[in-house]
Amino acid sequence: MSVKKSQPDIVLFLTTLLLLSIGIIMVLSASSYHAMLFYDDPYYFLKRQIRWAVLGIIAMIFFMNLDYYKTKKLIVSGFIITLVLLGLVLIPGVGIEVKGSTRWLGVGSMVFSPSEIAKIAIVFFLARSMSQNPERIKTWKGFGSYLAVLGVVCLLLLKQPDLGTTIAIAGTAFCMFIAAGARIPHLTGLATMGITGVAALIIAEPYRLRRIIGFWKPFETASNEGYQTVQSLYALGSGWLFGVGLGNSRQKFLWLPERHTDFIFAIIGEELGFIGVVLVILLFFLFIWRGFRIALCAPDRFGCLLAVGLTSIIAVQSVINMGVVTGSLPVTGITLPFVSYGGSSLLFSLIGVGILLNISKYAQK
Amino acid sequence: MVSLSMKKRITFIFIVSALLLGLLVVRVAWIQFVRGDELQAKAIDSRLRNIDIKAKRGIIYDRNGSPLAISVSAESVYAVPSQVRRSQRVDEIAEALAQVLELDQEEIKNKLNKKVAFEWIKRRVPDEKIQELKKLNLPGINFVEENQRYYPKGTLAAHILGFAGIDNQGLSGIELAYDKELRGISGKIMIEYDAAGREIPNAMHHYIPPTDGHSLYLTIDETIQYIVEREIDQVMKVKQAKRAAILVMDVKTGEILALANRPVFDPNNYADYDQGTWRNFAISDAYEPGSTFKPVVAAAAMEEKMVKPDDRFYDPGYIKVGKETIKCWTRNPHGSQSFVEGIQNSCNPVFVTVGLRLGLDNMYKYISGFGFGAKTGIDLPGEATGILVPRNRAKEIDLATMSIGQANAVTPIQLVRAISAIANAGWLMKPQIVKEIRDSENNLIKKIEPEPVRQVISQKTSQDLRAILETVVSEGTGSKAYIEGYKVAGKTGTAQKILPGGGYSTSEYIASFIGFAPADNPRIAALVIVDSPQGVYYGGQVAGPVFRNVILDTLRYLEIPPELPAKEETKEKKLVVPDVKNKAVNDAVKELKKLGLEVRIEGEGEIIVTQLPPAGTEVNQGSTVVLYTQNAEDQQVIVPDLKGRTIKEASKILADLGLGMAPQGSGLAALQEPIPGEKVEKGTVVKVKFISPNAEPYEETIGP
Repeated sequence: MSVKKSQPDIVLFLTTLLLLSIGIIMVLSASSYHAMLFYDDPYYFLKRQIRWAVLGIIAMIFFMNLDYYKTKKLIVSGFIITLVLLGLVLIPGVGIEVKGSTRWLGVGSMVFSPSEIAKIAIVFFLARSMSQNPERIKTWKGFGSYLAVLGVVCLLLLKQPDLGTTIAIAGTAFCMFIAAGARIPHLTGLATMGITGVAALIIAEPYRLRRIIGFWKPFETASNEGYQTVQSLYALGSGWLFGVGLGNSRQKFLWLPERHTDFIFAIIGEELGFIGVVLVILLFFLFIWRGFRIALCAPDRFGCLLAVGLTSIIAVQSVINMGVVTGSLPVTGITLPFVSYGGSSLLFSLIGVGILLNISKYAQK
Repeated sequence: MVSLSMKKRITFIFIVSALLLGLLVVRVAWIQFVRGDELQAKAIDSRLRNIDIKAKRGIIYDRNGSPLAISVSAESVYAVPSQVRRSQRVDEIAEALAQVLELDQEEIKNKLNKKVAFEWIKRRVPDEKIQELKKLNLPGINFVEENQRYYPKGTLAAHILGFAGIDNQGLSGIELAYDKELRGISGKIMIEYDAAGREIPNAMHHYIPPTDGHSLYLTIDETIQYIVEREIDQVMKVKQAKRAAILVMDVKTGEILALANRPVFDPNNYADYDQGTWRNFAISDAYEPGSTFKPVVAAAAMEEKMVKPDDRFYDPGYIKVGKETIKCWTRNPHGSQSFVEGIQNSCNPVFVTVGLRLGLDNMYKYISGFGFGAKTGIDLPGEATGILVPRNRAKEIDLATMSIGQANAVTPIQLVRAISAIANAGWLMKPQIVKEIRDSENNLIKKIEPEPVRQVISQKTSQDLRAILETVVSEGTGSKAYIEGYKVAGKTGTAQKILPGGGYSTSEYIASFIGFAPADNPRIAALVIVDSPQGVYYGGQVAGPVFRNVILDTLRYLEIPPELPAKEETKEKKLVVPDVKNKAVNDAVKELKKLGLEVRIEGEGEIIVTQLPPAGTEVNQGSTVVLYTQNAEDQQVIVPDLKGRTIKEASKILADLGLGMAPQGSGLAALQEPIPGEKVEKGTVVKVKFISPNAEPYEETIGP
């Protein structure tokens, strides 16, 4: 492999830091009231977010300087460890249960979610496998084997249950399949299967079905299923062009649930208005543009697919999250990358950026 | 190197992602700019909690603007528990509240520890306790003014006013009938809360002031009402009756000037009274009017020219109608008499004869014409229609009995309206109770004009019948209603009560008297009904004197001059009352008795503080002098009866007792507050209403 290093993609780097900064400010604004109420410390969530952000930036810089192709040897064992962790989290007493889902491993305040590792792990696994044997994806058997691996991961995730990460991983994998050259009939078949599968999952779980109803008719079910959507629309709708001003959100006074996590975009819309919303969307556009550009300029098939996967994770999650907040999609439980409060999720998103930046160093043009 | 097809596919993914982001921008723009106002309004609405501010309920005045029902504000105490807790003095504050408000300390502590934005501690607290609490300046403990209905005259006009409930909602009487007008429109304080009900920092506060309710000016005259209440109490006491009702109506306008029932209740504590006492039976209950109905029958027969005043009749003591025999009320047959004498004697056979002559068609024409069997439309809740024998089922015997006021049941208000129509040139008026509606700034909202319904009899018949009814009082059964100087028209009534199972009681009667005055130019009509009087039960004996007293006082109060010159009073020996003030009681009594004066002593003291009449007054021999006594050290005095005193006299009497006076009006004292006999602290101000009289003081007497 020809090694001709250049500067990492500065636009991607700055875009990430900007999103991260907006996130930290908005986490403080959205969480201070209930942090004061429940933890007696308005900066409770801010402190933790900063801690994870610092850790994430260190990790990002580390991975930026770790040549991506050198990781190839670790991929299979890393993927197996990930599966083990995903299995471990399901064992009662080992996984930490929060709000009816067991998603976390760890002790004290240092907890992390194996789901986050799974996102990166599947991207690495697929990129490696699909670059080693470019023709496999084009056969029925090959495509099927990838689906089988993906299926195992998804099943483990759904056991938690973690529909959000499942959808994010499935979406990311789908993007990678497209990029890797999967046949169109296979892809449409998979899309059909995926949609049917999601529909089946929704119908199987009453709480998911209620969420769909809440999405469909939010104002008629405003006191229960539609509550989150309605409160989110209230927040966005109150923003207008310039917003009610930073720190002046009213919906954050416990009206909007998950105000500093899944629904932080609504608080941005309320406080910073359309301007703030467009800025955030623009930053994600920049991120995705630079991400796919890195993929296009990657020196090899592995780097290209890796970049596609890492960019897709962010693209899929941000589009779905903003879709949920704007009432365009049912509530799924996906956070807004870099912006939402969330420890390990932030860490692994930044690790992904670090890897992307590393690939960008080898850009060919 | 990335292959070309891969590049194309990656570009495709990018374009799709970019398109989705573009759609999100459009979607947000739609939410914020198209639906923004609506969503924001809904959002604010869902975050705001309303605290209602009750409008002040309108005042009910009598026709001259004297308040009969008012809203007084009392302060209520509430806590903002989060503020109390922030002060870290919960225990101390709970203790202070418990002590001043006489509440359970633990209970208050629980309230103060509740996670709510607002908690009542105690509502409508006496002012001195509020002042005490305000001095303590407890953090998180606040005060708010709330309104409470208050009826300053107690039982006066209770059945007209009705009462309003704890939330100021009209429940009966005028309070119910005019609830919409009196109620006003509640205001609001809107405060922004968090989803758990805590007031949020820099919360939005909206204040929508309440619109106070309209005030009502009734047709009731407080003074006439007072006269009526006084008389009805007297007759209830003397006759130990079950129930009684008195109505006074302005014959020209149909306005109710006074209306009272017994038993009565105090609207300030209406819940403490039996629900039966709330019933306004003057409009809600029908009864057989007996002979008081005869003027209606006479009016019909005279209008139809079926009878002339000097037509002759013969009463053998009974009359046969088909198989039935109807007796006259007296054992001694009236024998031969004119129609006029028949009315004077209230002779049943005469009226049966006249009724039969009139016929069923005419009888029903006039019964309906005078408004019986239908609601009068008075603006009070619960009016009854009365019960008439259905026209298609009425037989000759029914015609005969209804001619003497039996068979049909009517309400007192229907009857007094009918007699008013007879007095008012035949014009039947709609009875009125409310004169004007004004807003809280006293701007006129609605004036209720007199409403003629129809002319039932001609001016001529009215005139003739008025003259006849005047003779009932001057020469006939209504003599107890005779008033010197005035021409009073009236008719007695003594009806056997109907037993619950049908048939007539032989022991219980309804004694009544109906009439109007002055007979030549009628102004006021009155009906007195006494249900089940003990002892003498004849209407003329029981209700007649009550009617007389009501009419006389009302005529004087209204300054209606006497029509006839007063008879020369027999000159009696005049005495001059000596001054016995500051003398020992025994000495004073001795001194007065020696002069030939009667003595009544008020109070249990040993020294005379004041006397009535005062020293130097000329009085007849045998007049009573009232002596008010007091213990030297006693700071409490008994309020004297000032009735009939001039302003000067009243002020002197009160000053001698160490009381103040707040006079109102001119003339002679008629109403006072506190009432005579009440014990009050020295220095209390007595409100006295003076009314100009045209005649000499009137002495209360009552039949039989």
